[in-house]
Amino acid sequence: MEKEKPFVASLHEVENQLELSLRQAFASLEPKLQPPFSLDIPDPQEFLELNRAILYAVLCNYGYSTTHIKHLHALVTDGYAFFTSLLVGVVVELYGKLVDSAKVQLLWLTKEMIDVSSVGLEDLLVSLLRRIGCGDYGEQNVWLCYELVSLFLDKWGCLLEDAPLVLTSALYSFLRLLADHCRVSGVPKLENVKRLEIKFCVKMFREQMHLSLKIGRDLVRLLQDLVHISEFKDIWNDLVCSEVSQIYQLKTSGRYFLLRIAPEMETQLRFLLGNVKLGSQKRHQIWFLKKFLLGPEKETLLIDIVRFICCAVHPTNEIIRSEIMPRWAVIGWFLELCKQNHHVEGRVKLALFYDWLFFDERVDSIMNVEPAALLMLWSIPQYPHITHFLLEFLLHLADTYDIARRDMMMRGVASAFREIERKGVVQSLDMFLSNPEIATDLKKKLANLLSCHQDIN
Amino acid sequence: MHAFLKDIVPAAQNNINTRFIILDKVRSPPATTTSGKSCIALAADETASVHIQLWGDECDAFEAGDIVKLTNGIFSYVRNSGLLLRAGKRGKMEKVGEFTVAFVETPNVCEIQWNPDPENPKRYIQNGVVSAYSRIFPPLP
Repeated sequence: MEKEKPFVASLHEVENQLELSLRQAFASLEPKLQPPFSLDIPDPQEFLELNRAILYAVLCNYGYSTTHIKHLHALVTDGYAFFTSLLVGVVVELYGKLVDSAKVQLLWLTKEMIDVSSVGLEDLLVSLLRRIGCGDYGEQNVWLCYELVSLFLDKWGCLLEDAPLVLTSALYSFLRLLADHCRVSGVPKLENVKRLEIKFCVKMFREQMHLSLKIGRDLVRLLQDLVHISEFKDIWNDLVCSEVSQIYQLKTSGRYFLLRIAPEMETQLRFLLGNVKLGSQKRHQIWFLKKFLLGPEKETLLIDIVRFICCAVHPTNEIIRSEIMPRWAVIGWFLELCKQNHHVEGRVKLALFYDWLFFDERVDSIMNVEPAALLMLWSIPQYPHITHFLLEFLLHLADTYDIARRDMMMRGVASAFREIERKGVVQSLDMFLSNPEIATDLKKKLANLLSCHQDIN
Repeated sequence: MHAFLKDIVPAAQNNINTRFIILDKVRSPPATTTSGKSCIALAADETASVHIQLWGDECDAFEAGDIVKLTNGIFSYVRNSGLLLRAGKRGKMEKVGEFTVAFVETPNVCEIQWNPDPENPKRYIQNGVVSAYSRIFPPLP
């Protein structure tokens, strides 16, 4: 079989350092990759080079992959830590440049790493999950989704024993993806994917409920979008009857919100919120839009982006005090982008306000509620209708999200408001309560909420 | 180490080593001359902006948002086009990334009045601003 270059060549682009190191290692060590293998223990430098050469050789896919992997098994002394870190590097930095056959090889290697419980396996699987694009129904992306959900089903036993938390990452990802997949028709291969996604998620709930619940309160937010599927309706009813209060108590870790954000998107969002001055952001916004949000199916991504920004991008005080683009302004822009799509807009607002419903000043971070508070505040001068519709949504949400636990949610929202005043995010709640631009009945509702739900202490 | 755009000076030499982000490319079909197609783009770094000229397959290889490293480039007057930064025959433009440059659009070093230094006609010195921003690519409203 002829050697195929695993990476697409790009004429006017500087070669990526990792790609260069893999290619060079292969070029210099290729003769040593065929049996008979040397019985000498390689020195540390050669060990690293052999790892790189083997990886490149397998990605090239010229027919000796099983030989190469046996060679790796024979020489490994670090629990496959370095080899796995190289795989993570390829997924994070080079996935888009891999030719199709190399992607197949990459997944084959991932399964090999699962079989040996390699060090760093969780990072590798999370990186791959992050590569499943949102709102992308092209062949490559559907293929990746199919391969990964199959992998999680096939390797269930191994993963449950060696890396159970990664199964919760998969659960979060597939629950979220399923919600989008169910709204799409006319993509034949997607039907197979949906079937497997449902199978995996149901298996998690039925066999590993305790593990699934480690996701925390956002699990409820995800499941709500799936109750129209009969298998999930039963699970929902079971959960609601027995566990939901406890689930609400557990805050969802930020690492789950990263799962639906591709590495390049994370880099660009953090750059926008850490380096670009307010007033100079227009071109960056256009580039971000063009790269990630082109097409109506992609609007669903805004739900995950807003959740990610609220919970996992917490700027330092220095940045907050500077002229750098604040989170509330970026979120305002995203809300503007989806205002024609009621389905997405509602879920984006839910993602924005979700932490308000459960806010407890003793344990929750003001940083999760600050963006919504400032967006409502700063919209007042020029866009009071935005403040109005956000405040209206929030009060309605607290009232209706979970009627049986309405009191708890009203208390949460009241606590969030009091905390934003106490911490000086907003100088005084009078800015909402006494503002002539806000409708009287809304101000009354807010005043009522604050007076009925006093501090716990 | 590369030069900042605010410090580059016109000269008939391939002596510009710099790094910038492309802000916008001219939308009309690129001009085709006897030597192949070319087009103009606005680029910038943390210190200033500049007009660059892309040649041949460079026109399609680079997009707005691309971060480009220029080696042995030339910054000089091009007939009928004014002052332009480009790779030229001996230089090279390569993409090194995307998005992550916090740039400024003013000053634009092509919209500066450059006059020959009376003491050394091969050197140019700044003598006033023609326009604070690019007149080909005005800032976005």
